[in-house]
Amino acid sequence: MKNGLLVAGCMLLLSACGGDGSGSGDGKKPVSRLAFVTNGVADFWTIGQAGALKAGQELGVDVQVLMPAGGISEQKDILEDLITKGVDGVAVSPIDPVNQTAILNEVAGRAKLITHDSDAPDSKRLYYIGTDNYKAGRMCGQLVKEVLPEGGALMIFIGRMEQENSKRRRQGLIDELLDRSDDPTRYDAPGKVIKGSKYTVLGTLTDQFDRAKAKANAEDALSRYPDLKCMVGLFAYNPPLILQALAQGGKLGQVKVVAFDEDDETLQGIIDGNVYGTVVQNPYQYGYKSIEVLNQVLEGDLSDLPESGFIDIPARLIRKDNVEVFWEDLKKKLATPKRQEEVKPTEGAGEPIGKG
Amino acid sequence: MKGINKILGIGGLLLFVWLATWVFSDLLTEHQWSFLTAYNQENLLKRIALFGIIGIGVAFVIITGGIDLSIGSVICLVGVGFPWLLMEKDWPLALALPTVLLVAAGIGLIHGLLITKLKLQPFVVTLCGLLIYRGVSRGFTGDQTQGFQNSFQGLKVLATGKIPLTASFGLPMPVVFLLVVALASAFFLNQTVYGRHLKALGNNEEAARFSGIHTDRMIISAYVICSSLAGLGGLLFVLDVNSAQPVDFGNFYELYAIAAAVLGGCSLRGGEGTILGVIIGTAVMRVLNNSINLIDWISKNIELAVIGSVILAGVIVDELAKRMIAKRRSKMDKE
Repeated sequence: MKNGLLVAGCMLLLSACGGDGSGSGDGKKPVSRLAFVTNGVADFWTIGQAGALKAGQELGVDVQVLMPAGGISEQKDILEDLITKGVDGVAVSPIDPVNQTAILNEVAGRAKLITHDSDAPDSKRLYYIGTDNYKAGRMCGQLVKEVLPEGGALMIFIGRMEQENSKRRRQGLIDELLDRSDDPTRYDAPGKVIKGSKYTVLGTLTDQFDRAKAKANAEDALSRYPDLKCMVGLFAYNPPLILQALAQGGKLGQVKVVAFDEDDETLQGIIDGNVYGTVVQNPYQYGYKSIEVLNQVLEGDLSDLPESGFIDIPARLIRKDNVEVFWEDLKKKLATPKRQEEVKPTEGAGEPIGKG
Repeated sequence: MKGINKILGIGGLLLFVWLATWVFSDLLTEHQWSFLTAYNQENLLKRIALFGIIGIGVAFVIITGGIDLSIGSVICLVGVGFPWLLMEKDWPLALALPTVLLVAAGIGLIHGLLITKLKLQPFVVTLCGLLIYRGVSRGFTGDQTQGFQNSFQGLKVLATGKIPLTASFGLPMPVVFLLVVALASAFFLNQTVYGRHLKALGNNEEAARFSGIHTDRMIISAYVICSSLAGLGGLLFVLDVNSAQPVDFGNFYELYAIAAAVLGGCSLRGGEGTILGVIIGTAVMRVLNNSINLIDWISKNIELAVIGSVILAGVIVDELAKRMIAKRRSKMDKE
């Protein structure tokens, strides 16, 4: 019986291995091993992964991308296991920075640690690579002002509010619409109607990453507020679901849509004229820059890294005039393959630095 | 005898998975050893203990022929409720701790009463529980993450502390909880009338009732034990992680617990199961989980597929072995 178990297990492991038996390198000079850890599984992070892997390929370091599907406890397991593996550097987007200081510092004690996307200022992270979401939110507000110059009522749709970046993004949007001064620490409770001189924010609906809920939120807002002028989707998947709700309700074009992030359907919506515009962060740069900075830190070359520890990856506005160029570029970047050790050296694109 | 065969089988599977992980993550790479480090083995033991506690809980219910699908949501309720009471509501620890544990036990009591007195099916009752406690947790927290931040360092030792055994290796505190729970449960199941009654009722509830066993009382206590241990698990989980998000904390954990119990020899038809088996079953799943993070060529996104396949293979091999033994025995009987 034990033998049977052994055989079955062997077969399983072999099948899991699935023709990818490249294993590890030929044991020349040790290659730096870096990890890029996200805060969840999402298309946004697939783009980030492409950036991280591309950087790994160009710099000749081994890059592993890990996306926790099980929230904060799984992210903790992943970080512990990365310590176990003895990786040289970790770039992580902490899910709950305030409460994760202990595990982040544990990682920082054994490897070079930087944060990306969402910061953990209390931890011993060396650098933070990200977008100022408050500024990005204000940019989103500009889009609303452009599409609704006369003002009107709008509704905000967002995945969840507990993340620092989503709070700031939403606050930036509201502050811009109400022409308030810059103050990222301001906080308007999501339940209340926020009335400015021209614009009224009817509410903020969250969906906890549940796509069906997100769509139902959009549908319900349409039936509840017949005078709704604009819907703003602040997480990548919100705008496409808003579009679907509008299409099924026969209201495409009547209600304006302003988006965030670069989902394919959002970009197509801009081309078709159903979405006015979107604010894009640059997940590709999060990935690329994370690996580049970790590599610089490991090589002791800190000359062009900022004292403040904050490396800004600015957001950009995408409207009908620049959407096609942006999308082409994005597709090209997404075509970047695989981990460094599994890929042939790149031809052409930049000189191979290959320190390993 | 049957029990011992089971334990040997699942123990063999654990040994195999453990060795395979060691070979693939340490021996076949040029990096320094990682799987066998004290640090990793401590992490593994801690995770096995946390999941083992909830696995033992569900084993009680499964032995009665029932099921509890609400474990993950109870973990969430306790996991977010405990820091919420302490940090947001400023309750004293001496009040908050018994409150959350009593709530967990009360949930089990309600499940048991609905199942025995109203004759509702366990699947339905606990499925509704899964939805209700998750919804309640998200409701009273407003979906906000609940955590301890830098407070209650002493309390966190219960989940993150270690009892140093050698210079580099320490026994994680949750293992102590697991040992206490496991020993008490094993004693209960094997050495007391209660345990024999529980198994008897799992084999045939009607017969057990006619032979004078208070079947309702036994079933209710099984659900109380299950939810209480889920509550204890939730407490330790949140002390370990330091915070919990109402939306996904403990998500799917009931299925991990059930899988570990089944892998460890509990029959979903009731009447069968050993505590040691459940712990080994939990260990198999945690080592697999660890191996996927440590072995480079197993991609993280097929994790569930790997775990599912190994469990399925284990169960199939076990079933085939059982038949082979039965065949051989009947052959011997003929001769």
